[in-house]
Amino acid sequence: MNEFFLSILVFSPLVGILVLALLPKTQESNIKFVGFLATLPALVLSLFAFFQHLGGGNIDQYDVKVNWIHFGDFAEMGLFKIDYELGLNGFSLILIVLTAVLSTLAAIASIHIKKEWKGYFMLFLLLEIGMLGVFAAQNLILFFIFFEITMIPMFFLIGKWGYFEKEKAAYSYLIYNGLGSAILLIVIMVLFARTGTSNIEALAKIMAMEDPATVSPFSDSLKMGLMIALLIAFGVKLPIFPLHTWMLRVHVQAPPSIVMLHSGVLLKIGAFGLIRFGMGIFPEQFESLAVLIVILGVVNLLYGAFLAFLQEDFKMVLAYSSISHMGIVLMGVGALNEAGIQGAIFQVVSHGLISALLFFLVGVFYERFHTSTIANLGGMAKGMPLTAGFLLAGAMASLGLPGMSGFVSEFMAFLGLFEEMPILAAIGCIGIIMTAVYLLRATLGITYGKAHREFAGVTDLKAAEFVPVLVLTALIVLIGVYPSVLSEPLQATLETIMLGLGG
Amino acid sequence: MENAWIIPLFPLFSFLFLLLFGKKMKETSAYIGIFFTLAAFIYSLVVLFDRFNHPTFKAEANWLSIGDVQLTAGFEVNQLNALMLVIVSLVSFLVHTYSKGYMHGDDRFHIFYAYLGLFTFAMLGLVLSPNLLQTYIFWELVGVGSFLLIGFYFYKEEAKAAAKKAFIMTRIGDVGLLIGMILLFWQVGSFEYDEIFLAVENGAVSAGMITLTAILIFIGAVGKSGQFPLHTWLPDAMEGPTPVSALIHAATMVAAGVYLVAALFPLFTASKTALLTIAVVGAITAIFAASIGLVQTDIKRVLAYSTVSQLGYMMLALGSAGYVAGVFHLMTHAFFKALLFLAAGSVIHAVHTQNIEEMGGLWKKLRLTGPLFLIGTLAISGVPLFSGFFSKDEILIAAWAHGNTALFWLAVVAAFFTAFYMFRLFFMVFTGEARSKMKNVHESPAMMTFPMIVLGILAVVAGYVNTPWFGTFLGDWLVEGNAALGHGHIEGPAWIMIVATIVSLLGIFLAWLMYGKRTLSRDWLSSRAPYTYKLLYNKYYMDELYGVTVVKATKFFSVFLSYIEAFIVEGLVKTVAGIVQGFGKIGSKIQNGQIQTYGTFAFVGLAVLIVIYALTGGYLK
Repeated sequence: MNEFFLSILVFSPLVGILVLALLPKTQESNIKFVGFLATLPALVLSLFAFFQHLGGGNIDQYDVKVNWIHFGDFAEMGLFKIDYELGLNGFSLILIVLTAVLSTLAAIASIHIKKEWKGYFMLFLLLEIGMLGVFAAQNLILFFIFFEITMIPMFFLIGKWGYFEKEKAAYSYLIYNGLGSAILLIVIMVLFARTGTSNIEALAKIMAMEDPATVSPFSDSLKMGLMIALLIAFGVKLPIFPLHTWMLRVHVQAPPSIVMLHSGVLLKIGAFGLIRFGMGIFPEQFESLAVLIVILGVVNLLYGAFLAFLQEDFKMVLAYSSISHMGIVLMGVGALNEAGIQGAIFQVVSHGLISALLFFLVGVFYERFHTSTIANLGGMAKGMPLTAGFLLAGAMASLGLPGMSGFVSEFMAFLGLFEEMPILAAIGCIGIIMTAVYLLRATLGITYGKAHREFAGVTDLKAAEFVPVLVLTALIVLIGVYPSVLSEPLQATLETIMLGLGG
Repeated sequence: MENAWIIPLFPLFSFLFLLLFGKKMKETSAYIGIFFTLAAFIYSLVVLFDRFNHPTFKAEANWLSIGDVQLTAGFEVNQLNALMLVIVSLVSFLVHTYSKGYMHGDDRFHIFYAYLGLFTFAMLGLVLSPNLLQTYIFWELVGVGSFLLIGFYFYKEEAKAAAKKAFIMTRIGDVGLLIGMILLFWQVGSFEYDEIFLAVENGAVSAGMITLTAILIFIGAVGKSGQFPLHTWLPDAMEGPTPVSALIHAATMVAAGVYLVAALFPLFTASKTALLTIAVVGAITAIFAASIGLVQTDIKRVLAYSTVSQLGYMMLALGSAGYVAGVFHLMTHAFFKALLFLAAGSVIHAVHTQNIEEMGGLWKKLRLTGPLFLIGTLAISGVPLFSGFFSKDEILIAAWAHGNTALFWLAVVAAFFTAFYMFRLFFMVFTGEARSKMKNVHESPAMMTFPMIVLGILAVVAGYVNTPWFGTFLGDWLVEGNAALGHGHIEGPAWIMIVATIVSLLGIFLAWLMYGKRTLSRDWLSSRAPYTYKLLYNKYYMDELYGVTVVKATKFFSVFLSYIEAFIVEGLVKTVAGIVQGFGKIGSKIQNGQIQTYGTFAFVGLAVLIVIYALTGGYLK
């Protein structure tokens, strides 16, 4: 059973795709229901694995390795073969749980989708397979395949079910991410060609050796080149200034349910890749780039915050806010100590939950008012007190209110950074103030003040809408009050990373 | 004492319960809130009496581990914490009771009580915290409670602006606290108060670092306690319902800054510079806010500036090494200022205006509120035998004994101002002839007068726990077992008490001449010194100053960045898109169907590969 566990987890949405293929495309409610059901197996299995691990269960019992592709005679030496290998560590397990949770909730949020439900859900489920696979893959080539699987459905989901400028957004997404993928592929291929393996752990071991017996040698400058290439490839995804514009378009144009996944999970692949591959495979090079990474982080944080302050559209505020919050991830990893890295990982999860919550709420009021412009809303607390209340709670979590997940991650990232680079950290603190400024301006602009429109006849949160909001808020508060729920599973991963960094 | 951690959970439960079920309960929600805060108060009293006979109790558990570092959460009952528990839970209980009458008829009655519960929970949690991290956590949570309650009338634009301003201004201070706390952590290796004090005592932290972190932490206190120059949010916070002003913006949260400095007192006393900074900021705030209070016409704003000014006094006391004086004044101020706000709320409840120009002659109509307001006014003015007299005297003595002579005289002038503007307020509201506009003026219901009576009694008697005549019980108890806090009572020359008394009586006399007997014209100041008057009336134009500096600069910088975004970054996007398109075009041109072209490209490509191979030997290094 154990050897199939991860494969079942990752590919379980496939069942849903098959069932959907058999359904007539006019049966709206059936399609939506099947789409929702198909996300459940992954959710149940991932939660099972998570709680088992929390209870002290061994995390690598689910690792699976099957021979897949090999080239010529090298395979006998164990070289140049690509295995189908999936596995877990604390970090990837957490991200798989995050993916499964957000997928289920995004499937609920998809009740607002208006057309071609069949195609939508088939792509949606394919996207979920890709995301789960990315985090479970144990070698770079498998990682890359799953990485690409996320791209294609995403392109269509934006381009077909988005808002007015959806095509432009979809192409912009494709070009940027395509270039990022190309760079990533080059890195992977160079590594594969020179070492004969693409297994992540094996690569990390080889790179850590003084004089590794690789197929062909590595110079330090080549390593540095590969590290920079990785930084760019994942920098597009994260996104790092100035590679971020595509992501603004996607945030504004894609349907909210898709943005929940995009902002909640897909952006996190950038952080995941930087930590797992950048830091894991090239620790020395990563260390020498640390100052640069932190500077990029501070720039992201402040740039995003100041621009979010100007936006008229709430979606744009959230988009720039994502850029700003990803800056904290960079600052955390750049600190290169336990507090910083743990803070960065917390921020990844925390921002995933918070932005999913906020975008879900955007979907809720966009559905009712067909606008997300701040000036056109206003006074929403009067007609829709629940929606307004949760929006405020989401904003509070986002600006790092203690008792919610945003605080723990922000605090740890800054704690870590202050030990290493106090001046940069102090500059970054301006971002803490600005975050409060732009989030309060935007959310109070929507919820407080005089009502700009008639709220009579507008229903507040419906039962189906209530579930995602409540689940997300509960998770945000849980992590904020009891952070050990995340930090415990992370300990082993962190130790490995710190070992790689030589301290 | 071992179970003191339960105390904050009472109001927390009230908050959660009312949030979930309050809507159906309507105004009976009040009894839930009142009951749980009463429980918290009774338990706090038990803990206080327990603390009289037992040593400090502290318990903690692991909260979060970062590598080898364990961050803990827990609670500590020392003298200061036990005292604060009682003050906070008592005032909260009284305000809960009072609000039953004051908020009667409000649509969101239960939400109001839920928020009050949240705030009380956070405030009680704050005063029990044994380490800086936990203090910071609750520190922010009380800020949110305050934010929510200031913005309770969310449909009013002023309330929205005031709530936003309060949150952001205090957050500016909070960042100082955050930085100071983290820097201290990397010096000491812990957030625990005890560990910090130990490290400071042993000289494990350099003198420069102590000063730096102490001042950064003090910036947090400046924001929360409305000290100059971050005070501007506090008067605006009066947009919240009046009971909220009494609880949060007079008695408890704004005193949290003072509490923080007191809780970290051994850190501050280790740095002369830090102490002096506190004293100077405190004294400036005291006189600055008092001078603004002289001319304001909104009853709540006068009280707000008086709060700012009194908090300045407390800071001056702490900055002059007068630990006992600062904490003592915190306590007496909590009682008489809460009383004044509740009485002001009772007046507003009766006449439906906050403008004192439109009031007058209310003494006969509000037979309970009038005398109670007078008690509060006498107490804050420092009239002998009332509580404020004793605590203010302690502060003046501390400032004098510590050698801050200039600051001492500033404080004396501020005391004169205080007596004047408070009695100006009293005479304008309660004496003179009644205005015709006011009809059906009647006394508030018992639910509202009962809390005022309790506070009125405390405003008179609370001072007697620490007097130079009958014994300094409070002071001796507060500093017991901790030499770093200084003496229980600082000896000072007797003339200070006399000067303070004369000054406050002079202030009252002048106010009586101008607003009571009216032998002096009311516009005495505005006609003789119109510019000074205007400057004071417009609060020294601080808001306008921030408007043209900080706010403008932020906007300008944002717009500047948006140009970078529009031209440079978007330009990059266009370039990338252009390159991709260009390649596409070249590619499509090559696909022209001519075999010769294909052959040429294939051949050239092969040649290039061979050259590369020959030059590098097959490897790129």
